[in-house]
Amino acid sequence: MAQGSRRRRRSEFAYVMKLLLWVAAVILIFEGRFIHTMLTFDASEAAVLENSEAETESESETEPESVYYVTSDDMYLAGLADAGLVESETETETEPETQATVSNPDSTAIVREQTAAVDDSYFSDAVFIGDSRMEGFRNTSGITEGTFFTSVGMSLSSMTSSAVISDGNSKITVAAALSGGTYGKIYIMLGANDLGEYSWDDFKSGLISVTNRFQELQPDAIIYLCSCIYVEEDKVTTGDYINNENVDTLNSILLEVCEEESYYYLDLNEVLSDGYGSLIEGASSDGVHITAEYCKVMLNYMKTHYISATDAGETEEETKEEDMEI
Amino acid sequence: MKKMTAFICAAALALSLTACGSGTKDNETVTIEISELAEALLDTVTSDTLSETASSLVPSIYYLDEEEVASAVAYASSGATACEVAVIESTSADGTEDVESGMQTRVDNQIELYTSYNESEAARLETAIIKSAGVYTVLCVCDDTDAAEALLESYGF
Repeated sequence: MAQGSRRRRRSEFAYVMKLLLWVAAVILIFEGRFIHTMLTFDASEAAVLENSEAETESESETEPESVYYVTSDDMYLAGLADAGLVESETETETEPETQATVSNPDSTAIVREQTAAVDDSYFSDAVFIGDSRMEGFRNTSGITEGTFFTSVGMSLSSMTSSAVISDGNSKITVAAALSGGTYGKIYIMLGANDLGEYSWDDFKSGLISVTNRFQELQPDAIIYLCSCIYVEEDKVTTGDYINNENVDTLNSILLEVCEEESYYYLDLNEVLSDGYGSLIEGASSDGVHITAEYCKVMLNYMKTHYISATDAGETEEETKEEDMEI
Repeated sequence: MKKMTAFICAAALALSLTACGSGTKDNETVTIEISELAEALLDTVTSDTLSETASSLVPSIYYLDEEEVASAVAYASSGATACEVAVIESTSADGTEDVESGMQTRVDNQIELYTSYNESEAARLETAIIKSAGVYTVLCVCDDTDAAEALLESYGF
């Protein structure tokens, strides 16, 4: 009786062993890739892989099937989760799609990246008009050229009618300041003080009116409308209306105005967005004003995103052709 | 006669040491390394991290002609606060009056703008320090004005 029981136990043990061997064989054959990864993977490779994923994602969003993602399952099988290389399952398993920073990415009004960057001398005949964010850009980006008509708290309304620019002796309007010189480029940055102020229709008509006035005063100038930069909503204390949903709406209006009036839209959020409709975390101490580090990023963006004389000529021709057709 | 000479010398010395109002000291012998002073004043700003502004833009910020400025160093905020530090060397001692006036205009404008925008920054601007010594003029909008005053005194302001 006891012998029979021992034999049964032995055969059960042999069966379990066989089963384990089969499992091991299956793992070796089918999951060898993971074992190889487990033995050869190190942190630097993880970083390279992560970067190449990000690059591939941004370069060809239309071909996601060609991208190989290391899934959390791969990581866990490779023992990387225990090594602390996997932060969370959601991070690796489901890559949320990044959000476009413009309402119409194919718009011809969007300033595209040029092959060669300009230097600061490009800005020697430029005038920068805007609020405290533009003033912060002047103060901290390291830009060495250009004229600045900036004013803390400037909004479309104050830009249009209030004497907010000081010439050292008195206060004058932006238009009056602008008429005091000759400029080849006008960069306009506003919006942060306009969020939630008016109806969007009023904002659009007001913006068209003021930019057209500036163009009348400086007929040869290229007008760039800078996108309203995203905010870090959690840090903003100045009002709920300063939120990224409003920023997106306002930016879509800026782009429409550029398309309709033949101005140029500078999509600064292309380099200042976290990819999900917000300012890059840590790019601002108060949620609104971007730090020196990111003002430098903004300057570099402006140096690589500009309208060359050829581009400007082409657009003029297109406008004339459109007028003829009408 | 000796007593008379001593009295005249003492009176002349006393007059030469007398400051001439609005924070100005007419000590043309003061020599300052402006970058060093500006960097030292940065320590009095604790609520913000200021960055150096291109010196080529400094004259226009303070409504000055480029010819009036021999050299300048300025640190300013990204816009989060109204803090700023500027040290300007004028081309002549007479020029400091213009620099002080330009700095005061800048401060007054900022107070006006910040009053409706951020009152605590407007209050900070009210304590702005503007002082001259020799050909140098300093503007300091900071958190620790006592420390800034003491530092400036040690530099001859």
